[in-house]
Amino acid sequence: MSFDIFDFLPLLKFRIEENSMSPFLKEGDNVLVWRFAKPKIGDVIVFKVNDKHYVKRIEKIKGDQYFVLGDNKKESIDSKKFGWIDKKDIIGKVIYKI
Amino acid sequence: MRSVFYHLISKVLPAQTAFAHCDVPCGIYDPKPAQIAAAIVLKMVEKIGELDSSVSSQNDTSRENSLIRMVWTKEEHARKCKEELLILWTDYFKSEHISLFPNLHETFWKAAKLCSKNKQNVDLKSAEELVRAVDEIAEIFKKTQSASNAAKASK
Repeated sequence: MSFDIFDFLPLLKFRIEENSMSPFLKEGDNVLVWRFAKPKIGDVIVFKVNDKHYVKRIEKIKGDQYFVLGDNKKESIDSKKFGWIDKKDIIGKVIYKI
Repeated sequence: MRSVFYHLISKVLPAQTAFAHCDVPCGIYDPKPAQIAAAIVLKMVEKIGELDSSVSSQNDTSRENSLIRMVWTKEEHARKCKEELLILWTDYFKSEHISLFPNLHETFWKAAKLCSKNKQNVDLKSAEELVRAVDEIAEIFKKTQSASNAAKASK
């Protein structure tokens, strides 16, 4: 079993790569993510798919399933392509842009 | 006050990466990078050939350095050419293009194979074939763009 310090921190810092959340988040921006927030529609969240982190905005919620979209619709690969994501895959909510 | 706290805490927190994920830059597709990469592969093969014939005019170390740089450049641009072709093949071209160009898959497959062949060998014929194959794809791309523009204009 591996120990990961990120599993124990309530606040995490992420650097944004690529532009699908433009203009809200641009490549190179840093954000703080609160792990214990209850995500609601309109929130920007970081979630994990296949060990890779992504950042998107919640469009719809159905039980424990979340439909997420990029703000920059033209460029975004999001739930329209990969479907709904599970609550368990959500890392947290973006609460601050540094 | 809260923003001061966030700024301070952000100084000590290690950053992870979160991908906003844009598939390719702005949905812009262009065969030019592949054409340039193929042309560089051909140029390197030609230069390596010229290097062999001028062996007596340079000392061994200088020649080796030039040869390694040229082979490395050929390798890198053959890789880049393949990468650019695969983006066009998998992301730009759609099933409707196949009906217009039934040999599309075969054309891409051959061009991608030629990229690998040019990595493995220093062969003028293969390099010229690669340039021709990529030019053929660029021509197909141009035709699909013209067809798409004509369809938009008629709406």
